[in-house]
Amino acid sequence: MRKTLCTFGVALVASAALIGMPGCSKKSVQSGGDAQSTQGKADSSKPGVGSYPDTSVQPGGGGLRGLDKNPSEERVGSGTMLAKVDPSSNAGRQMDEIRAEQAASAAAGLRDVFFAYDSWVITEEGRQALSRDAEWIKSNSNALLKVEGHCDERGTSAYNLVLGEKRAKAVRNYLVELGVGANRLSVVSYGKERPSCTEHAESCYQQNRRGHLAVKVGK
Amino acid sequence: MTKVKMISAWFGGVLFLAGAVGILESGAADVFLEVTRPDFQKISLGIAGIQNGGGPEWLGGRIEEVLKKDVKRSLVFDLVDLPSLGITPSNIGNGTGTGSKAVFKQVAEKGVSVLVWGKAVMKEAQKDADVNMEGFVYDSGSDEVVGGKRYAGSPSVVRLMAHRFVDELVFRYTGEPGIARTKIAYVAQQGTARELFVMDYDGYDARQLTADGFLNLMPQWSPDRRFLVFTAYRDRNTQTIDMIELATGKRWTLISLGGLNITPALSPDGNFLAFASSHEGNSELYRLDTRTKTIQRLTVNPSGDLSPSWSPNGRELVFVSDRGGGPQLFLMGSDGTNVRRLTFDGDYNAAPTWSPRGNWIAYVCRTQREYKLCVITPDGQKRMQLTTGPGVDDSPSWSPDGRHLVFSSTVEGKSHIYMIDADGKDLERLTFQGTHNSAPSWSPAS
Repeated sequence: MRKTLCTFGVALVASAALIGMPGCSKKSVQSGGDAQSTQGKADSSKPGVGSYPDTSVQPGGGGLRGLDKNPSEERVGSGTMLAKVDPSSNAGRQMDEIRAEQAASAAAGLRDVFFAYDSWVITEEGRQALSRDAEWIKSNSNALLKVEGHCDERGTSAYNLVLGEKRAKAVRNYLVELGVGANRLSVVSYGKERPSCTEHAESCYQQNRRGHLAVKVGK
Repeated sequence: MTKVKMISAWFGGVLFLAGAVGILESGAADVFLEVTRPDFQKISLGIAGIQNGGGPEWLGGRIEEVLKKDVKRSLVFDLVDLPSLGITPSNIGNGTGTGSKAVFKQVAEKGVSVLVWGKAVMKEAQKDADVNMEGFVYDSGSDEVVGGKRYAGSPSVVRLMAHRFVDELVFRYTGEPGIARTKIAYVAQQGTARELFVMDYDGYDARQLTADGFLNLMPQWSPDRRFLVFTAYRDRNTQTIDMIELATGKRWTLISLGGLNITPALSPDGNFLAFASSHEGNSELYRLDTRTKTIQRLTVNPSGDLSPSWSPNGRELVFVSDRGGGPQLFLMGSDGTNVRRLTFDGDYNAAPTWSPRGNWIAYVCRTQREYKLCVITPDGQKRMQLTTGPGVDDSPSWSPDGRHLVFSSTVEGKSHIYMIDADGKDLERLTFQGTHNSAPSWSPAS
């Protein structure tokens, strides 16, 4: 009986959501356009959405058979199957591209912008650095740039990805203000996952709270 | 600072909720909670040794050591030291001989509820079936050998045999599957890259899953334990939410909307993926219906919303928003309705994770510029800080039985992975290799 009530409750909530609750500001994002026609189908044709396998739990998958007064022999396999990883050429390719990117950025003499703790406001010093960066970008009209937002190690990984994006966007917006074409600047947040300095000290944290301009190589 | 004192184990979340008495000490920046459960008793259990029936000397001892640690971590049993009770375990065999009767009598007289013993053999010449383990269980309440298990497998699964046996014990006495065979997915530094790894719940048998040479972040398990969802970077420039199949290593992109694509979390039934994306401006929460591929936007405001975690019944989400300035925890229905703020203590509360029993939400709280683990009840009435000391604690993740948390911490310098009881006791370090291990995610029980 209780279960029935629960199911009923869920159904009520679901139908209320379908009707659209008055005063509730939410909007449905349709990347593919037509939701109704694809219901129940596992298509992967929608832009930005890949395929999704069946992940529902199969009953009795636990493999526990209980204690037995006269136990028969159970074979123990390796448990969760794990593929052997292929330290593929992918890692090597990434390393080569990272080195090329770093070399191109160093050759361009682009400067980083540094931020205060928990802040994404560009300081006076940062504005000066970006003015010089903007000159280089404008005079090298073929270059495409990536604006990276970075954080120090304090705080959670997840929130630092948001903070890193705020920093990167602040840098991009200022460069656009200075006349750089927005289409030449892409933005990416690395949060605290690619520190330039790994000591646990403020001197290091300062270097890691940065907006970094990288000259894109390859694609 | 007030001492954290809680029940010795969370045996039965429902009972706990019904019987717990919380005393909230207000006024301080950190509010601690004292809960007593005088009626709760762990089940006393003694291990009378795993005899070596042939094979390398370490075999029986290794199995016994794993058994003991698993029994302790179960928090269902109280592991008693038999020799200190005057019980010197002899070879009990299959528990039918007169010698074994004498041992059982002693065990019952000393108030030990469960006695476990066994035997292990390694036949080195044979392929495939070269380790055999037997384990038996005597229950003093019913005064009988309630049963046993016989396992066979390769030497590489010796630890797994012990894990399996303890999961059977936990199942026998609680009806729950136990956590000894669960896994922890995490991120480890490899050169300048961060790759996904999976290890056993006790830190053993770490295996690398990705090797793309860049960043792979914040893995989360699918309900069936066969897949992980995580944040990755295509060509280093574009953030995506990817999925990987553990058994095959097959990997593909699930979400690539542009901007941030972070903190994926699958609903307990696997029908929805909640995640944060900034493709429409700032970081907002979305919900992908994994069957129809429809994406529904859940939050609308100019601040950052991220880190959704599902309630066990799938009807609610706890998440982080900085709409009030610093990051705080909020709750809402899983369709985006009925948003309300949950945390009011401190100016930084993040990385929430809803316990599988539903009664607590663990998260990272900032106190005196350090980032520590806290737990709060979903009604906001009880709050408690679990960890202290310097450094950053991050990414708490519950064990499927709701009795432990795994998290990363820089308390000893480098970021490593630790386990702690849900009441803040028994901190145990799980990783010792490498320069950086983070973002642990505990698998569902099998």
